[in-house]
Amino acid sequence: MKRNLNFIEASSLLEANETTSVELTKIYLDNIKEAEELNCFNTITAEQALDDAEKSDLRREQGKLKSQFDGIPIGVKDLFCTKNIKTTASSKILSNFVPSYDSAVTQKCIDAGLISLGKLNCDEFAMGSTNKTSYYGPVTNPWKSNKSDAKLVPGGSSGGSAAAVAADLCIASLGTDTGGSIRQPASFTGTVGLKPTYGRVSRWGIIAFASSLDQAGPITKTVEDAAALFEIIAGHDPKDSTSSIKENESFFDNLNSSVKGMKIGIPREFKSDDLPASTQKAWDDCKKLLQNNDAKLIDISLPHTMDALPTYYIIAPAEASSNLARYDGVKYGIREEGENLIEMYEKTRSVGFGDEVKRRILIGTYVLSSGYYDAYYIKAQKIRSLIKNDFNQAFEKVDAILTPSTPSTAFEIENEPNDPVQTYLNDIFTVPINLAGIPAISIPFANDENNLPIGLQLITNSFEEQKLLNIAKNVQDTVNYESVPKNWWQK
Amino acid sequence: MINGWELVIGIEIHAQVKSKSKLFSSSSTEFGSGPNSQVSLVDAAMPGMLPVINKFCVEQAVRSGIGLNAKINNKSIFDRKNYFYQDLPQGYQISQFKDPIVGNGFIEIESEGQSKKIGIERLHLEQDAGKSLHDQDPNLTFVDLNRSGIALMEIVSMPDMKSPDEAVEYVKKVRSILRYLDTCDGNMEQGSLRADVNVSVNKPGDDLGTRCEIKNLNSFKYIHSAIIYEAKRQIKLIESGENIIQETRLYNIDSGETRSMRSKEDAHDYRYFPDPDLLPLILEDDWIKKIRSSIPELPDQKKERFIREYSLSEYDSSVIVSDKSTSDYYEKVVKDRNPKLVTTWVTSELFSVLNKKNLSIDESPISPNHLGELIDNIDSGKISSRQAKDIFEEMCETGESANNIINEKGLSQISDEGELEKLVDNVISSNPENVEKYKNGKDKLFGFFVGEAMKLSKGKANPKVLNELLKSKLNT
Amino acid sequence: MLKPYILENMEFDKDSLYKLGKLSKIQIDESKLKSLSSDLGSIIEFIDRLKSIDTENVDPTSNSLDQSLVMRDDIASDVNSANEILENAPQKELDFFSVPKVIE
Repeated sequence: MKRNLNFIEASSLLEANETTSVELTKIYLDNIKEAEELNCFNTITAEQALDDAEKSDLRREQGKLKSQFDGIPIGVKDLFCTKNIKTTASSKILSNFVPSYDSAVTQKCIDAGLISLGKLNCDEFAMGSTNKTSYYGPVTNPWKSNKSDAKLVPGGSSGGSAAAVAADLCIASLGTDTGGSIRQPASFTGTVGLKPTYGRVSRWGIIAFASSLDQAGPITKTVEDAAALFEIIAGHDPKDSTSSIKENESFFDNLNSSVKGMKIGIPREFKSDDLPASTQKAWDDCKKLLQNNDAKLIDISLPHTMDALPTYYIIAPAEASSNLARYDGVKYGIREEGENLIEMYEKTRSVGFGDEVKRRILIGTYVLSSGYYDAYYIKAQKIRSLIKNDFNQAFEKVDAILTPSTPSTAFEIENEPNDPVQTYLNDIFTVPINLAGIPAISIPFANDENNLPIGLQLITNSFEEQKLLNIAKNVQDTVNYESVPKNWWQK
Repeated sequence: MINGWELVIGIEIHAQVKSKSKLFSSSSTEFGSGPNSQVSLVDAAMPGMLPVINKFCVEQAVRSGIGLNAKINNKSIFDRKNYFYQDLPQGYQISQFKDPIVGNGFIEIESEGQSKKIGIERLHLEQDAGKSLHDQDPNLTFVDLNRSGIALMEIVSMPDMKSPDEAVEYVKKVRSILRYLDTCDGNMEQGSLRADVNVSVNKPGDDLGTRCEIKNLNSFKYIHSAIIYEAKRQIKLIESGENIIQETRLYNIDSGETRSMRSKEDAHDYRYFPDPDLLPLILEDDWIKKIRSSIPELPDQKKERFIREYSLSEYDSSVIVSDKSTSDYYEKVVKDRNPKLVTTWVTSELFSVLNKKNLSIDESPISPNHLGELIDNIDSGKISSRQAKDIFEEMCETGESANNIINEKGLSQISDEGELEKLVDNVISSNPENVEKYKNGKDKLFGFFVGEAMKLSKGKANPKVLNELLKSKLNT
Repeated sequence: MLKPYILENMEFDKDSLYKLGKLSKIQIDESKLKSLSSDLGSIIEFIDRLKSIDTENVDPTSNSLDQSLVMRDDIASDVNSANEILENAPQKELDFFSVPKVIE
């Protein structure tokens, strides 16, 4: 069978009875086994997957398919709670936690007949952009530079989700994006990553990092796959008070790749001499491509672009410091015994959390504490309004905005700067989108001089995912990026 | 005033909303089930769980706000109050800080025979915490999350009270209003309504003193004695040259003392911020209007009406309306009856029985219908007041109706003039000497004739009719 | 105009660090004190750049979703057994969670 099947191809093969869900599942479980070195999975649920695949095949025989994608194997970021399957957020503190419930998103996948192969590695509590903060160790990017044998980061926090799709360890995967955690790893691995509008996808049952920014989305091999998986997981959920009451749409069926007459905004604040030449070139090429396809380029300004990252690093840690207070050794997770309650709390949390998580909890506590709240937290919320307003104004003039996804391509695992702030810069192009709550997609466009994928980011206004996917499909179909990593991990 | 010191008291009442399910989750609020059996995934703060607000609780907060003459805010925000405690599974309590659902209001209380306004600063909705048991194991504290997430209304007063009596009157009045509105059952023993009392002392004319907060008082008696103890403690400290430290204190019901709460010693910084899992709560004017139109008659209005309609005294009316059930009971009895008689029977006889037996009016052994029947018999002259008291006692014991007891025991009064005339004639003819004496001016003997006639009637003679007959016969 | 952020090596003061540790129940490891205070210092310095931005007359945004809170009906439908709730508890006694003795 062809390597690197996508959602659509797999469902056609299943429909034509050229394969079965069990066969597909076995192939992918083998792929996963061979790629142990990449460390993509925290938990592999082989038995459950084969069992589910068998049931899917039975449904197919009986003509009782749950959806047109019934039987397709996917991977799930280890941030989604999964019933009776260990869910860790890649943290020691939850290393023994087995939920009695499925997240709204994973339940929707079950309801569509998708087969989960296991739980994908990520940065601890989704805090990071390298996947190096995971308690289970870093994920290795399946891509390598053609100039060096050094292992590269897959990006983060959904590093396992992106690497697994790039290395063909699953057909598609679920990730979450708080400041770029879907788009940045998608960009580093040559995959497609969609961050939906805040409120499109239920957060119920997803381990929270920053509640006002977190949003789940698909990481896939194609834009069509992204539309299909997005459609499966989107929709109003009465159990999530921040879920939009807007009706779900038929994103997959309504895909249409015309950009004729569309206005594409190019924000001048994203231009920089520090941008690698190859990234700049990819961006320029994409502009030309869209122009050639009868879209119009418009110079726009998003004046608060440079303020977004520090704003994010106030709001996200503030929310996280509170969201992570529940990990206290009382109800679930690990406990370190102490002489008294306070000591038990402190030991449990000190042993259970990694350094980056602790840093963010401390910063979040600081910006909320009395005397600093107005200067930091309220200030950041006001700047958040300004950022949102920038986008509102831009979308009065344009249909979509085109930017690079990341300021660089994948870098070496061993080569992370010591200063955490330098690492935070990875998210500089993605963070403003989360603050504004709007949707964006990263699609692979070209490879750089080291043969590493470069991703470009398309952004639209709230709830305009259809338009976003349509433009992305236009770019995808025109550029025809078909590069996949060499499978060096296979013996 | 205590020894020339003024007291300043402010009170936070925590009133449990009378809802079936919790504020942000769908688990039951029923009292008295096994530990951790009414705990949803949300209440236990399982990873990824999210709060969804209970509409009924929002309505009850609005109703209560209207009852407290307070401003209802069209937009309110839920905040997180962050602190670690074993009974707080989320590591934060969802509450309202800057933008509560209800703003300024007031209530009126009676103080030293005068009406006094007490300001309400705010009412907000928040989650209750779980329950800790410290006495089950020498080395461990046990935690039960059944209460975790139950909806509370926190009602914050202005520091307008000057004495323990006023403080108690205030809590009584708020409780009464909530019970009239049926937003809280007001059961203090079960903890459905409890008060945190802030006390400070100062010399007249001086600035306010440093205050201490006494937590979790769940009876009027404790509120009263805790305030006295705390005020005296503060006065003693100041007079011996020491400073008051602003702190949270606990009241020990056995010793009657307050003491500093050790576990809250850590300087707290609650880091309130808007809960990012919840959006602003927007209440439309029409919705508030609809609730406003469904507000029942409240104690102050009812008191005025009772004075007007039933000619009750100020005092009797306040006593009767202070509790909704009592006023309901009273109104059932008084309908189409003599209000004066009804008031006397309710406030003296019925209340004394309830007090003696330590029963609430809802548990009264005598139903309003039965009491009404008894009063009908008195009013018609069928039985005497004296007989009525005996019948009342029997009604308490047996739960029988007045009519049944009267019929069974043949207790009804003889009011028939013909029958009584025979009795009177009999008494006069068998006591010629005394009749003579009486006629010669010994008026005091009248009582003797009444007594004799009563004896003959076996106590059933209607005294009023009997007196009149005797008088007319003896004076001719 | 994207420029790399240039940071001076500001350090976070140690007393504040210990206070934050107390508030958030995280022990500050002596051996990591230096690196932690320098990390936090540079983050604070980074977020401090917002101070110069004019935000007068700007309303804060705490959630980007423009929607008011949806309310649910008061139905007690969620039934969980104590077993289910205590399933993952590190320590339990009878049907209770248990923690080291707390003195109020």
